[in-house]
Order: sequence, then C-alpha cells, then structure tokens
Amino acid sequence: MEPTGTPDELAILAADPEMLSMFVGEALDHLGTIESVLLQLEGAPADVKLLNDVFRPFHTVKGNAGALGVTSVQELAHCVESLLDLARAGKHLMGPDEFDIVLRAVDLLTIMMQELPDRVATGHSSSVTPRRDALMFAVEAMIAGGSSFTVADAVADADPIETLAAAFTAAPVSGAVVAKAAPNAPPRARSEAQSTVKVDTGKLDNLIDMVGELVIAQSILAADPAFAKSVDERLGRRMAQLKRITSDLQRNAMSMRMVPIRQVFQKMARLVRDLSKQSGKNIELVLQGEETELDRKVVEDINDPLMHMVRNSVDHGIESPERRAASGKPAQATLRLRAAHEGGNIVIEIVDDGAGLDTDRIYAKAVSNGLVAPGTQLAPADIHQMIFQPGFSTAEKVTEISGRGVGMDVVRRNIEALRGRIEIQTTRGQGTAFSIRLPLTLAIVDGILVAVGQERFVIPAFAVRESLRPKPEQIHSVYGQSCLVQIRDRLIPSLHLGDLFGIAGAQHDVTNATVVVLEDNGRATALIVDELIGKQEVVIKTLGSTFEGVRGVAGGAILGDGRVGLILDAGGLAGLMSKGAAHQAA
Amino acid sequence: MDAMMAAADEQGSAGVFNAAALAGKYLTFSLGTEEYGLPVLKVREIIKVMDITPVPQVPAHVKGVINLRGKVIPVIDLRAKFSLPAQDYTDRTCIVVVDVSMKRDRVMLGVIVDAVSEVLNITAGEIDKTPDFGERVETDYMLGLAKVKNTVKILLDLDSVLRAEGALSGRMF
Repeated sequence: MEPTGTPDELAILAADPEMLSMFVGEALDHLGTIESVLLQLEGAPADVKLLNDVFRPFHTVKGNAGALGVTSVQELAHCVESLLDLARAGKHLMGPDEFDIVLRAVDLLTIMMQELPDRVATGHSSSVTPRRDALMFAVEAMIAGGSSFTVADAVADADPIETLAAAFTAAPVSGAVVAKAAPNAPPRARSEAQSTVKVDTGKLDNLIDMVGELVIAQSILAADPAFAKSVDERLGRRMAQLKRITSDLQRNAMSMRMVPIRQVFQKMARLVRDLSKQSGKNIELVLQGEETELDRKVVEDINDPLMHMVRNSVDHGIESPERRAASGKPAQATLRLRAAHEGGNIVIEIVDDGAGLDTDRIYAKAVSNGLVAPGTQLAPADIHQMIFQPGFSTAEKVTEISGRGVGMDVVRRNIEALRGRIEIQTTRGQGTAFSIRLPLTLAIVDGILVAVGQERFVIPAFAVRESLRPKPEQIHSVYGQSCLVQIRDRLIPSLHLGDLFGIAGAQHDVTNATVVVLEDNGRATALIVDELIGKQEVVIKTLGSTFEGVRGVAGGAILGDGRVGLILDAGGLAGLMSKGAAHQAA
Repeated sequence: MDAMMAAADEQGSAGVFNAAALAGKYLTFSLGTEEYGLPVLKVREIIKVMDITPVPQVPAHVKGVINLRGKVIPVIDLRAKFSLPAQDYTDRTCIVVVDVSMKRDRVMLGVIVDAVSEVLNITAGEIDKTPDFGERVETDYMLGLAKVKNTVKILLDLDSVLRAEGALSGRMF
C-alpha cells in the first residue's frame, strides 16, 4: 500500500483549480447517488440493476481519481469496486456486513473528497489515512472469503455517528449548484443523462438580483405619474406585456435557485438506518414528497435541524420493541418524513408513531429547571412548547444519539433564522408530529409597507397578526409612559417605532396612528406606526457587515420609488423593547 | 494597483512613513475650506446626493443607506465625522462611492463631501508625514499631507476611518 497524502498525488489538481472543483463536485454527486442506491439495494440485495447502479458511479470515481493521479482515492475505490464486481458476478453475496463496509467506504471517500481542496491548498496529508488502510484491509479480507472479519473490528476507531456527522456538516457541494433543466423530472432519473449545467452560485445570485431590480424598475415605470395619467390604450397594453414578461422571468430565475429536498431526505434515510441498527429499534422510514423544491440555502440549512429531530424521534419518540409489543403496537415503528407545498409555504413533517410527548414529565422538568413557577396552570400545548427552551432535555440518561439538552432550542433557532416556524402535535401513546413551515424562497418576502413620518418600513407579513386603529378606551398607560394596547382580552405592550428609531414627524397621538400587532415566538408586540400603505413583495437585501449590530432591522428593500426601505425584524424589535428607554435617549 | 493599495493599507497600520509608496493619483475634494485627497484607485464613482434612508442606532455621521443600482450601500457624512459644522447640501454636494476593506471583505461605502475638485497626480516629493498635532487632532485617518500649488491636501485613509469604528452599528455611543 502506497503512503497516501504525498504531494505527488495532488500535483495535477494543484495545477488546475478548475479541474479540482469539478472533480470534487462530480465525485460527491456520485457518492450521493451510490449511497441512496445502496440503501435501496439493501432492501433487495438480489437486484442486479441496482447493483449495477452502484458499481457504475464507483467505477467513474475510481477512473477519474486514477486519471488525475489521486491514488489514495483510486485505491480505496478500486478495492470496493472489486467487492462489488464479485457481487455482480454472483460470486459474493451482499450481506449486512458487506453493506456496512461499502457504506463506510462511501463515507470515507466523501470525507477524502471534501478535504481534497484543503489538502491541495495546504499540502497536508489526508486525515483519514489509518482508517482508509484499515477499511481496505477489511474489504480485502472480505473478498478473500473471511466473513468472520466484522466491520466493527476493522474500523474500530471510527465512531459511526461522528463519521456521519463529519460527512453531513460539510455542505453538499459548496460553490456550485446544479441548474436543473427539467424541474419535474421523475425522481429516479438521475443516473440517466439529464441535461444540466453547473453554474457558479455567485453568478446565479447576481442574475437573480438583477432580475429583482428589473421587476422593481418595471413597477417604478408603471407607477410613474406620467404613465398613470396617460389614456393611450396601446401604451397600456405594452406595459401589461412588459409586466407579464418580467414576472415570468422572475419566476424562472427564482426556480434556478430551487433544488429538490431529496438530497436531505436521503441523508436521513442513511441516518435512520444506522440509528436503528445501533439502538436495536426496528424502524421503517417513509419518505414522501422528495421532489419538493426548496431554495438551495434552505436545503443546506435545514439539514442539521432535521437530523437532530430525526435522532430525537428515534431516541425519545420511538419505544423499544418490547415496549411497543407491550402496548400492542406493531414491532416495526414508522417514521414518516414528508415535504409538500402548502399555501405559498413549504411544510416539512416528521411524524413518528412512538410514545408521544410526556406532558407530565416535561412539566415536572420545566419546574425543576425553573422555567415555570410551581403550581402554574398551563395548557398541554404550552407545556409542549417547553422543549424548545434552551438547556431542556427530558431524556433520563444521555445517550449516544441524543439527550445532551442542546437540541430543540437550537433546532427552533435554526428554523427561525430561515424565517420558518415549527409546531408540535402529539398524542400520548400514539406518536408525535413536528411540522416545519418555511418560506418558498429567502430572496423575496411578502411585506406590509408602513409609514412613519417621511420614512417607510417593510414588515414581513408572516410576523404580522393583525393591525387596527385603536379606540381611546383600548389604550392604557403605565406610569404615564409605556403604554399597553388592549385587543379583545389581551393587553399587549406597545412600541412606538418613531420614538424607537428617532424619526421626526411621527404621529404621537395613538388614536390617530395605526397599531400593527407583531408576533414573534409567541410574544406579541403592538407596534405603533403612522399608517399602513399596503402590501408588497420585496427583494431582501442585506445591509452588510457594516450594520450587523443594528437591532430590529432585518435588511433593506428597494421600494417602488427607488428608495431603500428598511425591513423590520419582529424578534429584534421585541428585544429592543426591554432596552427601549436607553435607545430613545440616544 | 494592488501594490499601491497595499502600501496605503500598510501606511495606516504600521506607522512607517514611506512617501514614495503614497505617490500616485488622488481624487481631491473639499470640506469647507479644507482640501482632502483619496487614492483614486479606491474611488468607484461619484454620484449626486440622493434620498438617504436613515438607519437607527448608528452614530450621527452615518447618514443611512442608499440604493446604488440595486445594491444597498451605507453612506457617511465626512463633515460630521470630522466634527466640522453641518451644512445644507448644495448642487455641488456629492457622494463619492469608495471601496473599503472591512473585516476581511471589501464593501462599497458612500462618502458625502462638499464638492469634488479634480484628480491630481501627487509625487513623493510633495508628500509630508502627518505632523503630530498632539491631542487636538485625530491623525489616524491621514496617510500624509500633500503640498500642491500652495495648498495643503490631507490624504485620507478611509479603511482606517472604518477600522477605528468597527462596524458602523450601535454599540458605539
């Protein structure tokens, strides 16, 4: 066995960075395909077509690595390919150990590919050489006919969960996105020749930015007083035509950022397989709506929270086979992952048929953690929300899989960072369903346009619960300063946007102003603005690192007249309220 | 061109004065009666003052953000930054859009000045080290002083103007 990581094997790639990124991107694509096909093959080991589908991409990876001189990758791929070749020829039966070892090899190759750009840049040797050597030894032993050689012995130093985590945390293929030509292609057509072009994400984002500008420019033109006054019918028709084309163009450009959620779901399939082996629970994973398309950024960022929730479901939700038998449930548990479009949102559901949330235990835990005062009456739904509190974990023992108490609050934060929401539905003894609701795209937000003095602000529509012009009897002041707005039975603390942001000419008579009730994280805030202007979709622009310390502002948007309007951040505003007085002084 | 920028960057931080490295083309502009210069390679464009959207929780000299052909960029008022008396914007008031480096990345920044004068080629012989004004004057932002045709141009290092502030945001009151 040649020592890996000698600079020689990287010489060709170092000379050609473009080749490097193509090689890595392609190989990672292939490894993803291999993994998902392997999981199918595991269910039907005799399927020669599936076996071929595994063999082919392996061969390609090996061939490419060989051609580019990356011997460490080539050797490992070759070694596994030999095993697959024997299986193809019917000379070696693919058993559980074989699948384990091939999956391990895929993990290892994924890590090796991911670290390749770094190695080329730094000249470091591979971090996984000992594991690679051990794995190749195990595969060779297996080929030689020794089924006595268990994988656990051979790759003892590799904690399976750690390996998985390492493989998952790195973004799938950073820097490039596959622009799909046929968005509705059938799910299993990936191995078939599909005409796709790889485009740098920077270029794609630029294009989408420019299209956003075009849409705004078009709406500025349409709103121009000269045009509004015109009675020329032909001009009106041509304007309508322009509007149609720009909005078509925008839809198309947006769709280029969209990728199916399949790649994330497939990782979950692998995770559930490994977890169920490890925990001794028999779990069937049902995937639905894999072809649902999401913004590329959402797909990347939803991976970690989903993984966490799947682990939680397997560890806490689904009972041991004995417990299931005792409560008369089928021995095989079902975990359902479903993605779908619902009313302008993407909904992702994680449904298990396990034990359900233990309301009493969560309550007791919340009391002992000081999250609620003892004796507080809470609705079950409110108690369930407690699991999203930081540092909350009811697992009696910390297991390898989950239970470190850093789980669900991080999950919720990640989802909220994507402007999404998470909800729980649970029935004791029957299971738990988590549903995540996410916006279709991160680039555009449905906004409510409000005015304060001469300034206009955009409030994301999802954060707005209602708006009203308050009657005098709805306003209650406390200490003559902070004021509460009573809406039906609820007293909601108010926040005067003009005062908070120091805007001249804001309406101070609350009864002449408009109250917009914002809801963030279950907390309502009554934001006082001068008036509502209307609803508008806006393209979100970051204000950049220069303004990252500004609270209460999520970004900027270019409004119909070409000016920048600030997009408000409901959570940040609510947070400012506690410090409101200090900021008003400044 | 990178060499010159690098030289300018170095000058700002290292404190070793090297007039030759500073020689080159400068865009000069005025603030009141004073004349300033910016390395021309850092200047992207000069635009008329447009509607500026104020941003809350920032120091007074940060005027807000503007829409520069679809990009949202911050704008600062140099008069306010250098504590010169405020003045209404006139026909000659401009926003000079410059490239500055902030926290590893380069960003565009609009700088409001009273009037843009010209692009001058300043030689090493014309550049003097910034004298020590004692406590009275903050000299960190100055690359040096240039004596051209009996006037003194203050050569500015905008990177360090921003570096001194960190982000333009809150926390600095």
